[in-house]
Amino acid sequence: MIGVFDYVRVGSVKEGCDLLAEHEGRARVFAGGTDLLVNIRNNGVSPDLLVDIKGIEPLGKLTVDAPDATIGACVPLNVIGENAAIAERCTALAQAALSVGSYQVRNRATLAGNVANASPAADTAPALLVLDAHVAVQGKAGGRDIPISELFLGVKKNSLAADEMITSIMLPSHAKHMRSAFIKKQRVRGHDLAVINMAGSLDQESGALRVAIGSCAVTPILLSIDSPIDCSAPIDELVARIDKIAQDAIRPIDDLRGSAAYRRGLIPVFLRRLLTMLVEREGGE
Amino acid sequence: MSDGKHKYVGQPVAREDALPKVTGRAMYVHDMHLAGMIHAATLKSPHAAARIKRIDTETARNLPGVRAVLVGEDLPYRLGLYVQDKLILARGQVRYQGEPVAAVAADTLETARAACELIRVEYEPVSPVLDPRNAIKPDAPLVHEDLHTYSYMKGVFAPKPHTNIAHHQKIRKGNVDDALAESDLVVNEHFYNPPAPHVPMETHAVIAQALPGDRMEVHTSAQSPYTVRDLLSHSLGLPQSNIRVHVPYIGGGFGGKAGIHLEPLACCLSRASGGRPVKIVATREEEFGTLPSRQGLHTEITLGVTKDGKIKAFKATYVWDAGAYADYGVNIGRAAAYAGAGPYCVPNCFIDSFVVYTNKVFGTAYRGFGHLEVLWGVERAIELAARRLGIDPYEFRMNNLLREGDKTITGETITAGHGRPDLCLQAVAEAIDWGTPSAPAEKGKARGKGIAVLHKAPAMPSYTSCSAIIKLNGDGSADILISGVDMGQGTYTTLRQIAADELRIEIDKVHITWECDTAFSPYDWQTVASRFAFMGGNATIAAAQDCLRQVRETAAIALRAAPEQIACENGEAYVESDPNRRLPYDRLALGYTFGNGNSIGGPIVGHGRYIAQGLTNLDPETGQGLPAQFWTYGAHGVEVEVDTETGEIEIVNIATALDAGKVLNPKLAREQVIGGVVQGIGSALFEGLIFNRDGHLQNGSFTDHKIPTAKDIPIHTRQIFVETPQPNGPYGARGMAEHPMISVPSAIANALVEAIGVDFHTLPLTAERVYTAIHTERTD
Amino acid sequence: MAKLHDIAVTVNGELETLSVPAGMTLLELLRDRLYLTGTKEGCGAGECGACTVILGDRPVNACLILAAETDGKEVRTVEGEASAASLSVLQQSFIDAGAIQCGFCTPGMIMSARALLARNPNPSDEEIKEAVAGNLCRCTGYEAIINAVRMAAKREAVTRQ
Repeated sequence: MIGVFDYVRVGSVKEGCDLLAEHEGRARVFAGGTDLLVNIRNNGVSPDLLVDIKGIEPLGKLTVDAPDATIGACVPLNVIGENAAIAERCTALAQAALSVGSYQVRNRATLAGNVANASPAADTAPALLVLDAHVAVQGKAGGRDIPISELFLGVKKNSLAADEMITSIMLPSHAKHMRSAFIKKQRVRGHDLAVINMAGSLDQESGALRVAIGSCAVTPILLSIDSPIDCSAPIDELVARIDKIAQDAIRPIDDLRGSAAYRRGLIPVFLRRLLTMLVEREGGE
Repeated sequence: MSDGKHKYVGQPVAREDALPKVTGRAMYVHDMHLAGMIHAATLKSPHAAARIKRIDTETARNLPGVRAVLVGEDLPYRLGLYVQDKLILARGQVRYQGEPVAAVAADTLETARAACELIRVEYEPVSPVLDPRNAIKPDAPLVHEDLHTYSYMKGVFAPKPHTNIAHHQKIRKGNVDDALAESDLVVNEHFYNPPAPHVPMETHAVIAQALPGDRMEVHTSAQSPYTVRDLLSHSLGLPQSNIRVHVPYIGGGFGGKAGIHLEPLACCLSRASGGRPVKIVATREEEFGTLPSRQGLHTEITLGVTKDGKIKAFKATYVWDAGAYADYGVNIGRAAAYAGAGPYCVPNCFIDSFVVYTNKVFGTAYRGFGHLEVLWGVERAIELAARRLGIDPYEFRMNNLLREGDKTITGETITAGHGRPDLCLQAVAEAIDWGTPSAPAEKGKARGKGIAVLHKAPAMPSYTSCSAIIKLNGDGSADILISGVDMGQGTYTTLRQIAADELRIEIDKVHITWECDTAFSPYDWQTVASRFAFMGGNATIAAAQDCLRQVRETAAIALRAAPEQIACENGEAYVESDPNRRLPYDRLALGYTFGNGNSIGGPIVGHGRYIAQGLTNLDPETGQGLPAQFWTYGAHGVEVEVDTETGEIEIVNIATALDAGKVLNPKLAREQVIGGVVQGIGSALFEGLIFNRDGHLQNGSFTDHKIPTAKDIPIHTRQIFVETPQPNGPYGARGMAEHPMISVPSAIANALVEAIGVDFHTLPLTAERVYTAIHTERTD
Repeated sequence: MAKLHDIAVTVNGELETLSVPAGMTLLELLRDRLYLTGTKEGCGAGECGACTVILGDRPVNACLILAAETDGKEVRTVEGEASAASLSVLQQSFIDAGAIQCGFCTPGMIMSARALLARNPNPSDEEIKEAVAGNLCRCTGYEAIINAVRMAAKREAVTRQ
């Protein structure tokens, strides 16, 4: 037995939210379970009830219709990462999704779960931040839509109320010239949590750049890059500029995966690799 | 040793055990259910060092479904392979975080765990001693205050009363001080290996049942059924034949299952539960933090060399971090001393190898038995010396490797039958094109090549032995009974090959009874030390020859010839001078019956044995003696590519050469080397237990302690076998099971010197440490 | 007494009806209730892959699936890989390539490889590594396992022609 709890498979979001409300924080949404069940096993949490939402059909849908892409809460990460449209339009997200855990884990783990778990090292978070994602949340009383950045409050703390669940994550459509990418440093090449992870999106026409960094603060951090970049400027200049912003914004700690100093040292290295990918034009520069 | 034509020995014969494993039908102790079986869980100490003031088990006992609750006070039994320093459950004090202090057997595992939660322990924490370099000091707090009262294996080990020193092994050869004074260059360096976990894929598991008449029956995932029996007998005070130990398939051992671990507790819980079979399965976290690991090692080497690159003096102090209990640690300390100068000709040698208690999870046997740790320092020091002299590290090593006629540091003379470390080194150097610099790396990367040599003899008592029984069946097939364990290394397959060749029958007719059962399988010491193929092979040859003697005896009468005139081939006995007079084994295996009904002979059961030949104990003052049944030499050549921006290391190419003597099965041998090399890469790049200042393990799970995955393997590997025959080995074979892992970290670190000009002294070579070394331009 | 959930789950083509507590994992259901002990527990936390089974058409870690949620689902384990008559090409390839030592990771490897070949009959070595990277092995060093899967892919392609 992985824990002592009750289990119910709900057929609708309403049914799920009602149960969450009824249990006043002692019930948990159960989708992929790859964080939740491990936490239960390790005695990090002891819910009375698991509310299985995988039977709610709309939550299993991934649609990439223009203008927005909508990813239901129960779509596994492999499905997201292997989706050709996502890989093309939201490259950073596809890459991030495929970097989480092992292949087996990604057949269960969901995007909603990855962000709701709110680990500072959540791999999908930097991608969602730079892609300007927003999150559809439902509670007993009603629904709300929040930018992804408002989901993360702290280490393993999200802004959902006890009766709320994420129903989907939306990625707005972007300009044709928008490129995004994701990069992650691990200890081993097989599955691992991030030492640092980083995503960027760049509108190659306007130079609007977004960069987000994970595993370097209590939440994933979207950098404040106020003015557009000059895509044809030497990469060193771009890196120096963004690195300064990054070093001021992050608050890395020493942990088992790496020291704060190593993390700070990797930032410009990965910025360079990321920016190089982002400024590259089809058919070369 | 037979030197006839080999139909099977030396061939890539497939494993018999592949079929049950690939269909999921192979039963491991994890998989076993016995009638009436109940489950156990343990409560473990949260402190690295503390007095136990009170334990209250009342509430736990009353939980429905609980069948037995035990604490240290209930179990007045001492354990310890070499030093009896351990109890089954902590009593009076705890010595490491993770040490079991209480155990519950209950109808379900959930109930047992819930009951453990209800046990109240009052601790008085004391300051733990964590660094063996502090623990060895005279004023250090004692991990074992009663060390002077413990019994131990006299003549071999010597715990020092009123200290934390479980054993001190010395090598004293020649005059090191004078030799250092005469050296043109003296290199003095410190090195460190952290403690590291074995990580078998199957955690420790045992089912024990106390039977009427003070008997015990045990099913255990263990490498050494007779050691389990012997130690249970010794500690519980039962005759050996009252104890029956079964070992089915086991999911890896790597030394962590070499001795005795959960078995005594399971036995005692069964007794306390009225004789129900009690199953204990370690969780992965317990595997990391409660069950023993590889000892850590602090090394100081002082190496004196002449300016033209000859070793004059080798001085080393090895301070082993034994953790809370001595277990195999004292023997590792001993072996490290006698192997502690590497496979080199060292005229003056002074080694002190200390095995020191600390308040951490204890160390046990681990593949390589101290040799990976020792050769980390030795091969790095050798490399440093060569480079400081401006001599090619390959030439330097070649100039000093042991050759026929040289004496080792314990006074053993190298013979033609010893094996050729020089040929191993030459082979790997050629394989990686040593002497030709690496191809230029792309921007942000750096490449380099490195070499290292290795050696190991089985670290075993002078009386180590093995025996085998071969039964011929009525259909002319043969069953081998032996109690060494095949945990995937493939020895059973090689024994089948040997038996088939010796018995002159098809290998399909030779089976080896997979499960070891001390009721039926004859004695084998332990499946450790890379000695099973060697001793088991010799025992199997002897058993097969005994079978053939019986075949010839019966056949002689049946065929009316003298036994000396009977030959055996293709499963038949025949008169050599008149081959038309012949009988297949199936007419002889259960006796022979004449036409009129008269019968002679009887069931043919052959037995064979082998005991270590000519080994001696080491002189306690000088370490001189003959500890080694054989030495296996080897070398690695590696090319690495370093991402200089992140510190990540890619193993582009690694070539490994071993002088394993006759390679009994080239396919299995290659597989063993590849697997060992990857485990060595794990030790080199990723692995090591991390403790905080309170002695609490920080990375006791797969999330936090990484081992190589399929994406972490080298781009190219190569396995080369030099086959200098071992005169007393089966068909000339010697052991090679541990060796592929040894010196892998050294070779990689030596390659890093080429690649990035950094000298590493500490493992593991994580990307962060490589990055930091590059960016601060200092040695690490 | 904890509430039990009635499930009807198809395991290797056989419909099994059971009542299970909510906290029971699919791994426990397979091993302790159905006595299909081929699927192993290496860590219980989704890190080692020893418990890999195919749920529907996807390889997953059975230790992190609740038995209760498998109602109406199909599960395939290593016991379903061979036919009554013979080993599968994949299993035979594992044997021929020398990809088995202690055997504890083998069932999980087989299932990860089976799922890979079902979705990608002609995988590159990189794709093979990606598919089995979540299956830890301590004995083989992985090389023979990758060779086995490559061999199986070739052989299965031949039999399909």
